[in-house]
Amino acid sequence: MNQPTARLPAKLHRRVCLVLTEDAVLAEELLARKKLASEVAGRLADRALLIRPGKIDVVLEELRKMGHTPQVVGKA
Amino acid sequence: MIATADNDAWTDLARKTLDRFAEPLLRDVAARLVKPRTPISAEEQIDRLLGVLSNPPVLDRRIKELPDASRKALALMGVSRRPVWKVGHLITSLAAIGHSEGFTPILKLLESGLAFPELPAGTAPITDFEPWLGLAGTLHAKIFTLPTVAARARGEDLNLPALPSEPLEDATGRVSDGLDWPLRIAVIWQLIAESPARLTQANSLFKRDLTRLQATENLAGADDPQPVPDQGVLAFFWAQAAGLVVEGDNEWIAGPFPATWNQTLTPALSDLWAGLASLEAWDPLTGYAPSDGGLSPTPTAGLLSLLLLTSRGVHPHGNSNWYNPQILADWLWEHHPSWSGAISQAAASNRGRDWVIAYFLSVAYPLRLVEVAQQDGWKFRLSDLGRHLLENAPEPAPAAAFPQTLLVQPNAEILAYRQGLTPGLIARLSRFAQWKGIGPACTLELTPTRTYAGLETGLTLAGILQTLNQHGMKPVPVPVADLVRRWADKRDRITAFASATLVEFQTTADLEIALARGVVSVRVTDRIGLTDDGRDPDFANLRLVGNRDYEAKPQRCIQVDHDGVTLLVDSSQSDLLMEAEIGKIADPVVAETPGTRKFLVTPTSLRRAIAAGLGLADLDTWFVTRTGQPLPPAGRLFVLGPTLPPPSVERFLVVQMPSEEVTDGILQWPDTADLITDRLGPKSLVVDDENLPRLIAVLADLGITLPHGERGTMVSEPLPG
Repeated sequence: MNQPTARLPAKLHRRVCLVLTEDAVLAEELLARKKLASEVAGRLADRALLIRPGKIDVVLEELRKMGHTPQVVGKA
Repeated sequence: MIATADNDAWTDLARKTLDRFAEPLLRDVAARLVKPRTPISAEEQIDRLLGVLSNPPVLDRRIKELPDASRKALALMGVSRRPVWKVGHLITSLAAIGHSEGFTPILKLLESGLAFPELPAGTAPITDFEPWLGLAGTLHAKIFTLPTVAARARGEDLNLPALPSEPLEDATGRVSDGLDWPLRIAVIWQLIAESPARLTQANSLFKRDLTRLQATENLAGADDPQPVPDQGVLAFFWAQAAGLVVEGDNEWIAGPFPATWNQTLTPALSDLWAGLASLEAWDPLTGYAPSDGGLSPTPTAGLLSLLLLTSRGVHPHGNSNWYNPQILADWLWEHHPSWSGAISQAAASNRGRDWVIAYFLSVAYPLRLVEVAQQDGWKFRLSDLGRHLLENAPEPAPAAAFPQTLLVQPNAEILAYRQGLTPGLIARLSRFAQWKGIGPACTLELTPTRTYAGLETGLTLAGILQTLNQHGMKPVPVPVADLVRRWADKRDRITAFASATLVEFQTTADLEIALARGVVSVRVTDRIGLTDDGRDPDFANLRLVGNRDYEAKPQRCIQVDHDGVTLLVDSSQSDLLMEAEIGKIADPVVAETPGTRKFLVTPTSLRRAIAAGLGLADLDTWFVTRTGQPLPPAGRLFVLGPTLPPPSVERFLVVQMPSEEVTDGILQWPDTADLITDRLGPKSLVVDDENLPRLIAVLADLGITLPHGERGTMVSEPLPG
């Protein structure tokens, strides 16, 4: 068991493109969109979609075409 | 782009420029500006130079010591409020006011240390100003000074003539509210925010952007005495000159509104006035006028025509001091070096009077620089703002404030009455409401797109509603507030991190501890979290066991077992992309060794990969990237097997020779070659039944006894070797 102040071993994954949805149903809705799905490298969790490196702009454009207004954090 | 009045930023630029002076040049400039009594070190020179530039009494002395033409050049920069000018425009303006010394006044100004060459990044150190001028393109080269230096020279007499003015008996002058151009620029700012523009290398517009700027509706102002040609194009270039449209990645994007827009009207209009000195791609009569390499006369002719209105100590009162544009045009015709040759033939027929009128009515009047009146044609004189900017008169008193100036209607439209509009309110509204009209009563519309855009620029829902309520004549209708709230909430449904740092812990418990300590605040999976802004976490709480950059090339992190289908993952080298990808190709299996991760490639898993759209080439690429070798033969069997023609089953009579050499010989010697049907391997030959007796006989002649038996039986005696 970790001491209260002990450092936690962790691996960093840097410069990751990620989309988090409000719920799993919304993630399914996004994955059902062919053009968007082709830019999704994988599903980390029910609500977390890993996007192919460098494809976040394509994904954002597709989300807006779908009528969504995503909050964008950390524009490149 | 540096704000025109930001003296600190211009001082920084001056320091960086002086750093690129070769030491002898720096010493010469310092000697003229600083006039040190004792030698000063190279390190001190720049500090002392800049020190003089912030010392008004010394500055005034140095300005007085300048040659007349150089002093006037500095004065022109001062009165224009624009610290950076093209050398060509300065020379043109000086020639118009009687100084035809060409580059000499500019060189003297540079040598005096009161102005600096604009040096693009990467320029080699300059040793002298003349060669720099030649390399930089002479007329298009730019020089800059500090705003405080130019301000000290502003009062210099430019020796402009006192042209005859006249009183108006039967007409009353009128002055605009000054909001037309800030509003037009705000409309164009929104257009560029939605879709950035691109410029060619020659700084002209591509056809697509030119068309949409020319076609922009809703730019008609409250009081347009005559239509402004290509006002959308003018607004774009003016926004660019004033820093509202900034350079992005190969395109021009909407930038933040300048801080001066949050002050009274005068600072915002002063900024726009400063932008005029660089507006070249527009003509008051013909509209968009991209340069073909030469200098446009518009900035200099426009400035000079306004300077001709200055009264030089005689202040207008009542209905006095009105100028006939023909008189101004006549002066420009005779004194401006290039204007008469550049204006259209139609304009030249009255020596450019129509050009002067168009410039005043399109630009100077809406910008509140001049008053206009009509008596036997148009007449002009400077307004209070014009006198403040061009004659150093006191700043006009701000207009009475009418903070409650908006009316939000139930259909989400907003009426904005101009008497209460300020540049600050225009800027704020532009961020979250769409301009529909900018006439006497402006109209805007609240839309999902603009609400979202406003939130993206840092506004909050509360801030938007506060603006509408604070400036509204009535509270925002509840249905409208609900609508905006719904649009804002939609933004929280999806969050896209463009470049986040994910922190992967070894156990779920560790992630919980990290969340409790605030190391991360967003749970992504049962072992992965991130901070709310996606940036690196505080490393004080972490011991890094791995670090992966997803913009770097994918790494090898899988070993293929000897069976060609078992994949062993090196967890320390693997990444999330691999985790997502491997599931499409192979199935996880329980590893014998705890902590080891194993996957198995099976016919089913590869059928799944192919159904998902992966081809053999894709699989090869993935395997090479992740394992260092293409898809192993066993995997190829799974992929290719079903796609090839079906194999055949046949029975052959196989003669197994003792050596490859002998086999080669049999195939080469015609007497035996014709008896062989096929070669199966290095020492294996297929022989038809009917050829076997002949082969036995021929080989017997060579001393090779070929034992043979019943079909399907083995012959046990070894063949002689």
